[in-house]
Amino acid sequence: MSEMVEVIVDDQTFHAEKGSLLIDLLIKEKVKVPYFCYHEALGADGNCRMCMVEIEGQKRPQIACDTFIKEGMEVRSKGENIEKVRTNILELELINHPVDCPTCDQAGECSLQNFYMDYGLHDTKITIPEKEKGLKKVDLGSNVILDQERCVLCARCTRFTDKITGTHELGIIGRGDHAKVSTMPGKKLDNPYAMNVVDLCPVGALTSKDFRFSQRVWFLKTVESVCHGCAKGCNIYIDHNKIKYQDDVIYRYRPRRNDEVNGFFICDEGRLSYKGLQENRQHEIVLDNEVISEDEAIEALKDLVKKYKSNITVIIDANLYTEDIEAILNFSKEIEANVCAPLDIYRDEDFKDDMLKSAQRAANYKTIENLSLETKIPEKCELLINFNHPGKFEAERSIDFRTHQDPDAAFILPLASYVESSGHITNEEGITQHCQKALSKNDPLPTVIEWLEKVSV
Amino acid sequence: MNKNITVIPRHGSSLKDKLYLPAIYDGVKVTFKHFFKNVSDINAVDTLEYPEEQPTDITERYRGLHRLTHRPDDSIACVACFMCSTACPSDCIFIEATEREDGHDEKMPKSFFIDTLECIFCGYCVEACPCDAIRMDTGIFSLTGSSREDFIMDKEQLLSHKGAFGEENSCARD
Repeated sequence: MSEMVEVIVDDQTFHAEKGSLLIDLLIKEKVKVPYFCYHEALGADGNCRMCMVEIEGQKRPQIACDTFIKEGMEVRSKGENIEKVRTNILELELINHPVDCPTCDQAGECSLQNFYMDYGLHDTKITIPEKEKGLKKVDLGSNVILDQERCVLCARCTRFTDKITGTHELGIIGRGDHAKVSTMPGKKLDNPYAMNVVDLCPVGALTSKDFRFSQRVWFLKTVESVCHGCAKGCNIYIDHNKIKYQDDVIYRYRPRRNDEVNGFFICDEGRLSYKGLQENRQHEIVLDNEVISEDEAIEALKDLVKKYKSNITVIIDANLYTEDIEAILNFSKEIEANVCAPLDIYRDEDFKDDMLKSAQRAANYKTIENLSLETKIPEKCELLINFNHPGKFEAERSIDFRTHQDPDAAFILPLASYVESSGHITNEEGITQHCQKALSKNDPLPTVIEWLEKVSV
Repeated sequence: MNKNITVIPRHGSSLKDKLYLPAIYDGVKVTFKHFFKNVSDINAVDTLEYPEEQPTDITERYRGLHRLTHRPDDSIACVACFMCSTACPSDCIFIEATEREDGHDEKMPKSFFIDTLECIFCGYCVEACPCDAIRMDTGIFSLTGSSREDFIMDKEQLLSHKGAFGEENSCARD
């Protein structure tokens, strides 16, 4: 580890590693400094010039993202001079900006908007007809839409495809006012992490086709959760909203920074997995093609358990929360059933890559392994109680707890999905993480624990 | 005793007050003065025979029923930015946005509902609109219907309302 030195920022003394970037210190200590092009995952590029600070002994303001920390550095991030510099640079950024915030999906979480409110508030010297025009809707592929007019040319997206995915699809072509982000002629943005450029883009130049016009971002409510797409356990934000007189619905997943697990990004498949979660849900309790009430279902379930007392098998899905799995184990002990959790079905070698995707497509399979549960189902079983396991099993009689519809099930009981309850999961590296409850549905479905409480009374 | 308290003497203790009749006479005098004045000249009565007679004092600033304006080429001015529904204190504006294909901007409302039963006619939506797309200058002050659903205005109804004060199209830039 290199030497720690003292740095003075706005009359406050901080300690930082010698030779590290000044902007990292400012971000870490929450000193307000505007920037477009710098990103912790992509490094310094120094093209947007927004992160100007005054450094004692230097003639002109310097960019914080390309300044290395030295012993006894004195930095000023506030004051009339530096704010004037920022205002002028922002005015340059806004010269060709179309200011179409009313139709822009980024409005509300846009760096340009925020910096304008912080440092700009100037009147433009350019009229709309004088502005450089560009294409408003370019489909780059992989659900990413480019608006060339809104771009501030920070090059975060091109650096993402160069440094992170290594696919080099995006580049900046042209010079000066005519510089634009583009793909190679005839080529599309095509990699499994492409939609991260939407989050990286500080303005509304790159927006998601999936989220396009579906909600204004200030209506969305955000909870912290973990993606259930595979055993990696990438941290996400779930953005949801309950429109008046309608039901609570998820509008998008966004990656949440966690340096121990996923860093800054998530894969596109995980990002879009919220859709499948909300489609084809099972809402009613169905016994032999007849919708029955909850009390009748509990009666029927108890009767079946009594009838097949000697030979019951409980099957557990490896996506359930640890709390749910424990409740199922207790219930199984109560009814003296065999417990098993077949894991082979989750294995998908085609999905695996060397970034974030894991071949184990079950979020909590590590807990099943830690509990050393049986993974093979007994050859002969008479009553089978399946807790949302995706596999199909032979049995004389089966009871299925399902989040989604299953046309083959004879006795099906609806179950809340992971976004409708909270709990913990352990990822493949053994890190246990908490998922918050996101949705409060108008007609909430029982969770595993709620079902088991009802059944065991 | 607290010096902030002032004692006010009770009125009505004189004989004149106790008789009541002079006061009744004063009141009846006013009533009959207006009665004879109105009977002698019926047109001077300050009453409107609504609904046969319609009010004439609805001014340009009056906040009547909403309308959605058009652009000069007759397309809808609204770009579905949700500023009105964000500003709305009674949450009565329901918009669903969609892709716009007619060459103006990118976005337009697929559906646009105002529940006029929930609306408090504060005019914040008009203030918030960056496109001059929603106005309350129809001069319509009375709305009737036989069910609750009749009061939920949809996009077509709102577009069909006409401005009552000459300014028909949106004044925002195209």
